[in-house]
Amino acid sequence: MKNIVIGRFIPGSSFLYKMDPRTKIIVLILLMVSAFLVRSLSLIAFGLMLLMVVLIVGRISVKRVLLGLRPLMFLLIFTFSFQIFFNTAGELVFTTTLAYSPGGLGVVVLLWFFWWFTRRRIPFKLLYFLVVLIASGTLLSLFSYGPIFTTSTIEVYSQGLEMALFIMLRLVIIVTLSTILTLTTKPTDLNLGLEAVLKPFKLIRVNTEEMAMIISISLRYIPTLLDEANKIILAQASRGVDFSEGKLKEKLMQIVSLLVPMFIISFKRSDELASAMEARSFVPGRPRTRLHQLTWRPMDTVALCFGLIILSTVIVLRVIGW
Amino acid sequence: MGIKFEQVNYAYRGPDGQKYLALANINLPIGETGEFITLIGETGSGKTTLVQHMNALLVPDTGSVTVLGVKVTKEAVAKKRIKLNPIRKKVGLVFQFPEYQLFEETVLKDIIFGPKNFGVPEAEAKALAHELIKVVGLDESYLSRSPFNLSGGEKKRVSIAGILAMEPDILILDEPTSGLDPMGRDELLTVFNRIHTTLNKTIILITHDMNTVYRYAKRALVMRSGYLVYDGDPQALFSRKNIENWNLETPDLLALQQLISSELGFKFPHTAKTEEDLLTMLEAVIA
Amino acid sequence: MIEIRDLSFEYQTGKPVLHDINLSIKKGEWVTILGHNGSGKSTLSKLIVGLLKPKTGSVVVDGLTLSHDTVHAIRRKVGIVFQNPDNQFVGVTVRDDIAFGLENLQVPREDMIERIERFAQKVGMTEFLNKEPHALSGGQKQRVAIAGILAMDTDVIIFDEATSMLDPKGRRMIVDYMRQLNREGVTILTITHDMKEAVLSDRIVILKEGKILLDDQAELVLNNRDMLEQSNLELLLPLRVRHALKERGLKHPELEALLWASSSNK
Repeated sequence: MKNIVIGRFIPGSSFLYKMDPRTKIIVLILLMVSAFLVRSLSLIAFGLMLLMVVLIVGRISVKRVLLGLRPLMFLLIFTFSFQIFFNTAGELVFTTTLAYSPGGLGVVVLLWFFWWFTRRRIPFKLLYFLVVLIASGTLLSLFSYGPIFTTSTIEVYSQGLEMALFIMLRLVIIVTLSTILTLTTKPTDLNLGLEAVLKPFKLIRVNTEEMAMIISISLRYIPTLLDEANKIILAQASRGVDFSEGKLKEKLMQIVSLLVPMFIISFKRSDELASAMEARSFVPGRPRTRLHQLTWRPMDTVALCFGLIILSTVIVLRVIGW
Repeated sequence: MGIKFEQVNYAYRGPDGQKYLALANINLPIGETGEFITLIGETGSGKTTLVQHMNALLVPDTGSVTVLGVKVTKEAVAKKRIKLNPIRKKVGLVFQFPEYQLFEETVLKDIIFGPKNFGVPEAEAKALAHELIKVVGLDESYLSRSPFNLSGGEKKRVSIAGILAMEPDILILDEPTSGLDPMGRDELLTVFNRIHTTLNKTIILITHDMNTVYRYAKRALVMRSGYLVYDGDPQALFSRKNIENWNLETPDLLALQQLISSELGFKFPHTAKTEEDLLTMLEAVIA
Repeated sequence: MIEIRDLSFEYQTGKPVLHDINLSIKKGEWVTILGHNGSGKSTLSKLIVGLLKPKTGSVVVDGLTLSHDTVHAIRRKVGIVFQNPDNQFVGVTVRDDIAFGLENLQVPREDMIERIERFAQKVGMTEFLNKEPHALSGGQKQRVAIAGILAMDTDVIIFDEATSMLDPKGRRMIVDYMRQLNREGVTILTITHDMKEAVLSDRIVILKEGKILLDDQAELVLNNRDMLEQSNLELLLPLRVRHALKERGLKHPELEALLWASSSNK
């Protein structure tokens, strides 16, 4: 639970914090659309550089953003490898033949043993895995002791390489953009901003105010519910539920022993909360005034223009065929 | 020795990521049998954290808690040198809200849930449940009812029966009488006292009710901001000068006796522990 | 201020929770509804503000008969502090929570800011305005609930077992606010089984199995041992001692007077 970075607000004071949440959401959308419209590798790389400048000027730690990327690591690597190995357009830039021989395989197996026993001590586990993976490929292509059972060829084409890089950069940009938003915007402000941005949807009868109320109450009660879940775990543990052990049937029982109290308590809670809200004159759907009001500053206009300029530039470039 | 805290420190991480000291250098011996201890202190003083160390739900950051011969330390738990489940069977902990533990379809099933987890055969556990439902002051017809259709007081009793069914050597109850009406509270306290006197089991009670402390406890512990500030006789506790600093109220009986002797000049041979005691003394003074 | 006439209520047909309740509460009065767990006392508070619909009978608040059309006007006049401090804290911060009712009443923002400051100060929570609920004690949360209700300009506050989940310090604090508010003219209805809280009120109504067992001046109800015991309640200690002395045939007028005085708040 402690490593969730997406969606966590970290207090700060740079211009990104002072911006109106509406601006941030709109600019975020504009930039994301731009990232999807861009088609060339050089442009997307330029975009990432621009984003880096924003991070530096906005005094946001790059480490935090990288942490935000972590949950997507698997997706990144998957798309990257997929493009590299299966996209066969363009020129052949690299080729190698892997020879499977007893000696080569033996060395590789030894290497993986070594990985298995050392992997817990290395901080960058995924990177370590990749290094070992590439090393074993290299070993197979270079050494062949004894009879060769079979061979396979790896071919990398220029477009595959380009596309792999391109898709990866685009993903990084999109995730970084949304991390910047959640990192610099208080949940309550984010909620207000979302409500304002979603207002046009009222025309198609989506009740944005109720949605905002639901989000704000969820924000209020998430810590309470987590705390409660923890207490239930302890209460059942003191009745001998050992969450680290047990067969499948016992595991099922353990989960039931947590979920049932959790549901019962949550229902009771929401029932009481509904009464309390009604008693304080809350009527769903009736207009309310707001304590928190968003203020639009010149900076927001600048940011919005910046977003619009980027988007229109990207559109123009795309039309002229970049 | 039942439970022994030695230089225990424990801090928890708050929602803001900050560390808060919940237990500070606790040294505390608790007997395996025959004790009736009340644990008092303001909300947030560390009472619940303290009792959760007694059945190894929490493990000290530094120091050790020895529970019925098993020494629980952070290191021992991390290296899995000790098993925690047997400790939880021997030291039964009843949580403040019965809603945290009740989940089965019937009261019977809920009561036997604990013993079954500890490997007690189902038939044996059921026989125990039939016995225990009466111990907590309900009749056997409750066994087939759903625990969710009971009143607050009844749920509490069922949750206590569920812990008693594990046949613990030591019984700990976290605010068992909060929210109950006077009659319900007195009945439940009588139950605890009976378990204590007939089975000679050690009972530890967290409470905010000073009358309970005064009437039933043989020993009182006072916690304040993570520190154990008092460990001793409950009568002596309330004759101390600084108990107001600890935000403790004077028990009604003591307050009344003090009022009578200061207003009317009555001389009492000793401080009354029970109402009956006070009445007998008043009788002697008036006659 | 509040007139309840022949009020009955049931959750399931055939199982009445409240039966033929008649009760009238005057402006500025402090009335306690005493009853054991399950006596129907909390249901009564929900009926008064229209959170539940009576089976028969009527509720009139300040001249308005409770109905679909008047329910919102009545909720502006009557506020409830509920039992569980956590389940009535709607806002993400103290400030937001006090604002919640005001936002619902469409109070203009400037006015809202002023009222939040004023009533946070009244319950001593000014320095906590930006705090989140998990950083507050139960007593502090209940104080915020009181501020939220006061800010809405209510005339009546119902304390529905509002102190039962608090520690002694929190309880003392909330009871002190009850006294202060009552002195300032707020009509107060406390629902409790705590005799020490009941002592403070002008009048006590004992509720048992959905019916009113007794409705009288506080001193008289507090001394009525039979009625209290019938409803799972107990006399306060000094009065218990007083009764016991009488039963043993012991006479000591000074002691009796002292016992009587010490169990009364007046």
